[in-house]
Amino acid sequence: MAASVPELLPYAKIREDLFRPLSSGSSRYWITVFAALAVVVLGMAAWGIQVRDGMGVTGLNRPVFWGFYIVDFVFWIGISHAGTLISAILRLTDAAWRKPVTRAAEAITVFCLMIGGMFPIIHLGRSWLFFWLIPYPNPRMLWPNFRSPLLWDLVAILTYVTGSVIYLYLPLIPDMAQLAEHNVPWRRKLYRILSLGWTGSDREWHALERAMKLMACIILAVAVSVHTVVSWDFAMSIAPMWHSTIFGPYFVSGAIFSGIAALLLVLGILRRALGLELYLTKHHFDNLSKLLLLMSLLWFYFTFAEYQTVWYGNEPSEMAVFAGRIRGLYAPYFWIMVVCNFVVPFVLLGIRKLRTISTAMISSVCVIIGMWLERYIIVVPTLGNPRMNTASGVYTATWIEFAITAATFAGMIVLYLLFSKLFPIIAVWEFKPHAVEED
Amino acid sequence: MYLIADFREQPKLEAAILALKAAGITADDMDVFSEEPVELRRGILDRPSRMSLVSVLGAIATGGLATVGLYAAQQSYRLVTGGMPIFSFWGTGVISYEATMLGAVLATFGWFLWESGLLRKRDKNIPVPTVLPGVMCLRVRCFDPHVTRARQILDSAGATDIARKEVA
Repeated sequence: MAASVPELLPYAKIREDLFRPLSSGSSRYWITVFAALAVVVLGMAAWGIQVRDGMGVTGLNRPVFWGFYIVDFVFWIGISHAGTLISAILRLTDAAWRKPVTRAAEAITVFCLMIGGMFPIIHLGRSWLFFWLIPYPNPRMLWPNFRSPLLWDLVAILTYVTGSVIYLYLPLIPDMAQLAEHNVPWRRKLYRILSLGWTGSDREWHALERAMKLMACIILAVAVSVHTVVSWDFAMSIAPMWHSTIFGPYFVSGAIFSGIAALLLVLGILRRALGLELYLTKHHFDNLSKLLLLMSLLWFYFTFAEYQTVWYGNEPSEMAVFAGRIRGLYAPYFWIMVVCNFVVPFVLLGIRKLRTISTAMISSVCVIIGMWLERYIIVVPTLGNPRMNTASGVYTATWIEFAITAATFAGMIVLYLLFSKLFPIIAVWEFKPHAVEED
Repeated sequence: MYLIADFREQPKLEAAILALKAAGITADDMDVFSEEPVELRRGILDRPSRMSLVSVLGAIATGGLATVGLYAAQQSYRLVTGGMPIFSFWGTGVISYEATMLGAVLATFGWFLWESGLLRKRDKNIPVPTVLPGVMCLRVRCFDPHVTRARQILDSAGATDIARKEVA
């Protein structure tokens, strides 16, 4: 029994187990990396075609000017809440079970933000003029409109990326200092530079722990604001089923929901691929599954509140969108979303006997699919059914948008696989051999 | 001159630090090195910090600058607002909030680098002990009259190994 509790393992064994994946690389690992890279290259080619031929190659057309790209943007920014937010909450509450979970979560945040942050640029069409988003005076007087939620997005995401990168980097420093004596010269150089000459003195440890606590507080405030601002991209316009007061919390809870699902999925894959069964135990999956179940119930509550209010109000333009979602063109997506986001997690995770690592993984995949569909259902039907009925239209994505979307998923896989080969995916120094399990 | 003593048990390390402080060696002259954070009892080797204050000041400074910059920008590059005020209170508020948080993040990180000493130029003559897993090394800076006494204290506190390092 004792061997299944990581805190009881000797520190030397923990070090060895967690540093080992950095040195070894199986053929399966490299096949996955290259397969994912092939999809990324396909997506880049599709983007190249879009840049060359213009936005006409996409399915975007009057009146639906926001399609897959904005759906992907909201989806990836949402998933990014996995890391920093969950890690910060667990760190501040001093939950002992967080130790093997936090770094994997923080890495998800950084990579998702990198991917999500690309979509507004892809969506611009003339991507090379992306710097027009940044407020700067110029001879053409193109001063951005400070009233625009799109500019708020830019500022919020820049703040979140900066904070998340630092939040990921800080606890990596002691581990990199331990790796500074690595036997591969380029790795040794990399770790030495990144560890900034860390010696492990008590002054350094004190400063690190203080900085982590403070960063956790700050990042919580930023994470909530980021997805609220993303929700305002929609809620600040007087469009049917967008102009809602609960869109901020609805988006934030949805983001945490999808984030936990992504974290569970990543941890499940890492556990198998890197042989971390001793460190990522059923206990961790059980706790995260309960969180996922809680968020599923919260998501259902928000969705019900949102739809019930619209239905009761019976306002014609709102009802056109409502009907499109519930029983019209978008109904299959809507009901798949309800099954994925509520029915599956509720059954698999709510019934104690069914709650295992495998069912947690199945639920997570379902939630990720469901949350992508939720973003699609929020973005497209409203634009397809504007207040002027005569201007309604249908959006069908082309292979360009599918390829770019697939490339972002593949890009996430590549980034994560490379990260897990460069840095220990579990913070080694945070594992102290304790006599009793802390929680 | 430096004495470097290895300890395997935290209570012995704490006893050594207290005894050294009683012998006149200040907390500034002592450093504990370890591969994992050692949580010493309060009052043993406290390291006062201004990180929270710096973080708040960074937030105020960046948030204030952003607000002033946004106000000036909106007044200098006037948009057609259709009768609404030129200065957008709501828009400015959102951007200022994010800038405030960015200031707090950067100030915290900057102060971490400063306070931990990672950013400061180091004296390469000062010995840095090689720490083995599970071992806590206490480095004590002391001068000739105190060396023998400090060594005795470390020895009697239960140090497993004591090394004497001269500064070049």
